[in-house]
Amino acid sequence: MKHFGIFIWKEFLHIWRDKKTLLIIILLPIIEVLLFGFVLTSEINNVSLGIRDQDNSDWSGELIRKFANSPYFEVVRLHDAGEVQSVLQSNSVKAILEIKPDAERRILAGESGIIQLLLDASDPNMARTIEVYINNISGSYLNDTVNLINLQPLMYYNPNLKSVFKSVPGLMAVVLMLICAMMTSVSLAREKETGSMDVLLVSPLKTWQIVIGKMIPYIAISYVNIIMIIALSIFVFGVPVLGSMPLLFLFSGLYVICALSFGLFISTVVQTQQIAMMISLAGLMLPTTLLSGLIYPIRNMPRWLQMLSGIFPARWFVEVLSHLMLKDSPLKYYLEPLGYILLITLILLLAATKRFKLRYD
Amino acid sequence: MAAIIKADGLTKKFGDFTAVDAISFEVMEGEIFGFLGANGAGKTTAMKMLCGLLLPTSGKAEVAGFDVFRQSEKIKLNIGYMSQRFSLFSDLTVWENIEFYAGIYKMQRKEIKTRGAQLIKELELGNQRNRLIGALPLGIRQKLAFSIAIIHEPRLVFLDEPTGGVDPITRRRFWEMIYSATEKGITVFVTTHYMDEAEYCDRVSMMVDGAIKGLDTPARLKEQFGEKTMFDVFLHLARKAGK
Repeated sequence: MKHFGIFIWKEFLHIWRDKKTLLIIILLPIIEVLLFGFVLTSEINNVSLGIRDQDNSDWSGELIRKFANSPYFEVVRLHDAGEVQSVLQSNSVKAILEIKPDAERRILAGESGIIQLLLDASDPNMARTIEVYINNISGSYLNDTVNLINLQPLMYYNPNLKSVFKSVPGLMAVVLMLICAMMTSVSLAREKETGSMDVLLVSPLKTWQIVIGKMIPYIAISYVNIIMIIALSIFVFGVPVLGSMPLLFLFSGLYVICALSFGLFISTVVQTQQIAMMISLAGLMLPTTLLSGLIYPIRNMPRWLQMLSGIFPARWFVEVLSHLMLKDSPLKYYLEPLGYILLITLILLLAATKRFKLRYD
Repeated sequence: MAAIIKADGLTKKFGDFTAVDAISFEVMEGEIFGFLGANGAGKTTAMKMLCGLLLPTSGKAEVAGFDVFRQSEKIKLNIGYMSQRFSLFSDLTVWENIEFYAGIYKMQRKEIKTRGAQLIKELELGNQRNRLIGALPLGIRQKLAFSIAIIHEPRLVFLDEPTGGVDPITRRRFWEMIYSATEKGITVFVTTHYMDEAEYCDRVSMMVDGAIKGLDTPARLKEQFGEKTMFDVFLHLARKAGK
């Protein structure tokens, strides 16, 4: 086995000597997590909320104070109906709350349409999030003061609806796919392109040793990335890991192997590094990003796209991760996505060995 | 002298195309065997079958006493391989390349140290030991690649156009290295496009359209085809095939 060890050592040297690529694969996950965590968020902060109070009672005054004291809103007082239209149009507020005259009494009498919420829905996701926040604040106030039977939403697993809770699992899926699939396919294609693959195949190294030897350094790098992403999301964004950490690392390992098998398969179809890179970027990265649920919810996709997303393991891995990180669900709830990842891995490995043999036997 | 390579009706087909058409020949232990032919004549395919890189379609072949169909793993331990297309890993140093190849041929650490040091001394690369291969001139790289290809002292070494793109002086020195390898008892199987190099071989085979059209010492081949040089012999055979 010593000669296998030296082969793995050579792979580490290749990666170590290529400092630029190494820097990219180490820094990329950090940058992506920070970017998605800080910039591409859908939670709200200091949203300007217009309030037109026609009641002017102690009751409505207290409600307005609730909004003013919340970190999510900045209250702008509005006075007449004309203003209501113009501030929405001019973008100076994102939402307007109208409290009709004699509100408290009329609510107790069971009348409806006493408090009205107008939302700027030109950004639908934003509008929906604001609605939830406003309902939360006003709902709890109504309950406290008038004791209505009221729907009280409780946001489980992510009470503040922080989008970073969703983007961390998604990013992990995308980043690992990128690094594992692209790097192995390019690295194997390079051996083919330069002709060193023949030299390796003539040597006493077995084919599986060449393939596994290529994978091991990237598995190591992937774990460095996993640890960095998890650490960043815990310490910078407060994303919890409620489930078992060992299981998280174990199943991430399975996903990494799945991604590596993608890389291996790609390398058996191409002859040059450039084409390997093109296929992994366009044919794998794009669908992984778009169909993993990281950016667009899978449930909103047309049926055929939903089926297509099932081919890419990222979707299943995101599911496994959110069970493990946010919900601490028992294994049986995410056995199915795990099974899919395993199935995809086996199919890819089988196809890759078959193609590898075709070429070299 | 015993034969180290025995091929009998060795054939390789890719679909309808017959790349190697039932070739039969023997390579004797300790000789320099030149394997010549135009591009696309089937040299590389034949060589790949002998090295265990390609499975033959039919026929029989033995390399170093092992069957190419069933014992390719044993063949691998007894041969060395070097091709012009690839000479060493350019992002690894001289010493790392030596260590790598010696390592994958299962040499012991101690052995690698002494043999590697000796190799570096012979090639006068003492102060280049820790330089990256990519920084060395092609000629030195090729000589180093050859020395590394036989570092594990194989019984037989395959050289696939080893001197391609190298200047005449380096080519000459390269052939001196080949001769000293045969003195150590290593059989050399070499493909080349340089006809002056064909003259250096003990025996030469000429491959045309997947078949061997001539096989003998350079002197007798010239006599057989009534030509003055190996270059003319080559043209004689290759032209005939073109018609």
